[in-house]
Amino acid sequence: MAIAPAPTEPAGGTGAAGPGPRPGGARRLLRYAGAPAALLAVLAALYLYVGAHDLDRIERRSLNAEYLLSRTWQHLGLSLVVVVLILAIAVPLGVALTRPGARRFSGPVLALANVGQAIPTIGLIVLFAVAFVSWGIHTIAITAIVLYGILPVLRNTMVGLDQVSPAVIESARGMGLGRAQVLWRVELPLAVPVMLAGIRTALVLTVGTVALATFIGAGGLGDVISNGISSNRTVVLVTGSVLVAVLALAVDWLAGIVEDVLRPRGI
Amino acid sequence: MNFFDHLAGNYAEVLALTGEHVVLVLQGLVLASLIGIPLAVLTYRAELPRSVVLAVAGVFLTIPSYALFGLLIAPLGLGTAPAVTALTMYALLPVVRNTVVGLRGVDPAVIESARGMGLSRRQILRQIELPLAWPVIITGLRVATQLLLGIAAISAAVNGPGLGNLIFQGLSSAGTPFAVYLALEGILGIVVLAVLADLAFAALNRVSTSRGLRVD
Repeated sequence: MAIAPAPTEPAGGTGAAGPGPRPGGARRLLRYAGAPAALLAVLAALYLYVGAHDLDRIERRSLNAEYLLSRTWQHLGLSLVVVVLILAIAVPLGVALTRPGARRFSGPVLALANVGQAIPTIGLIVLFAVAFVSWGIHTIAITAIVLYGILPVLRNTMVGLDQVSPAVIESARGMGLGRAQVLWRVELPLAVPVMLAGIRTALVLTVGTVALATFIGAGGLGDVISNGISSNRTVVLVTGSVLVAVLALAVDWLAGIVEDVLRPRGI
Repeated sequence: MNFFDHLAGNYAEVLALTGEHVVLVLQGLVLASLIGIPLAVLTYRAELPRSVVLAVAGVFLTIPSYALFGLLIAPLGLGTAPAVTALTMYALLPVVRNTVVGLRGVDPAVIESARGMGLSRRQILRQIELPLAWPVIITGLRVATQLLLGIAAISAAVNGPGLGNLIFQGLSSAGTPFAVYLALEGILGIVVLAVLADLAFAALNRVSTSRGLRVD
């Protein structure tokens, strides 16, 4: 019996290394509509739970629309910057490392990235914060979180490109396509499903990791959780935690749909 | 004073926290196995229960660590209890998924012949399916361990045990020369544990896999 490959990614997110099968009719509807319905129900329950509380002054400082919205926007803004940087670094790097001349570097780079993955995110954020005191807090948070999210995208880009059959590339070359054309019109489209799975993992990972930016004062929804812990107010703590969890699950849901839509037809 | 001087002066605490870290991760891993492997065995043949279990475990893993720790403080208070619970929840998906994949990967012809030889359902599970699935299950445990070693660092944020405490000590002494050393000690402790865990699982895989399945 062949040893099955590890079906799980070592880092968060439900996205596996490989794309799942395209869900069929009723299942797909349930998956597309079920998740947002459940998340909205959770938010409604949270609203009722907070509404039933007589908030004291400390609780009101965190639990007002203006504060919560500002932290949500900060959270989304940081996440967006991080994800754009991850894609801009990891995809070209993955393509470069699978080109014939550079292939011998791909092993060491992946090994280094795998060891790097063992570093806890909070450790990286704190280390950067105490080592590069002169950097701005947002630069520190973004750099640390980007470094952490590169691996899933890099690895899946390389795996996706590597699994393209040499025979397919050969026939494309035989049809008169140049190297660049083969990359753009054959290899990348065939690698897209695996790449998308990695991008989805990185997205969910990023939204979750940005919640740790609060520890170095870089804002985001983690602030609400920290306020709840430091002021010993359960209602604040629960609100912050639920908002972060709902945000991550919503991003995962959205990325799942994008994954299905962008997957090239015929694969 | 360089890093190694600092480590020499602080090694007793680093060792104690490393021990706490190992115990914390082992607790999560053992609980997740005790829950996850039976759950997988019960559901791997039935489509609906299987997808429900996998979906729920997937949701657990998608919830960011700080949020899950936060949610668990509400019922469990600060300290070790929310940390162990959160780690157990995170480890469920790799454990359950790999057990399911391993059990489903067993060749139906093998099961058929076992049944033909007169083995009962329970005997087939214990003597055929689980041993054949074992390498995949071990891989799931290995992935879960790597995951938990990193996430366990967050438990210090909820007054939990482990090497995360060194990282947060580093943060709170920011501006002093020791801040970097403290953070590095926490990080390197976890990286070393991750490497050791990988070696341990490779050895466990060799020792515990049925002889006929070994590649060499």
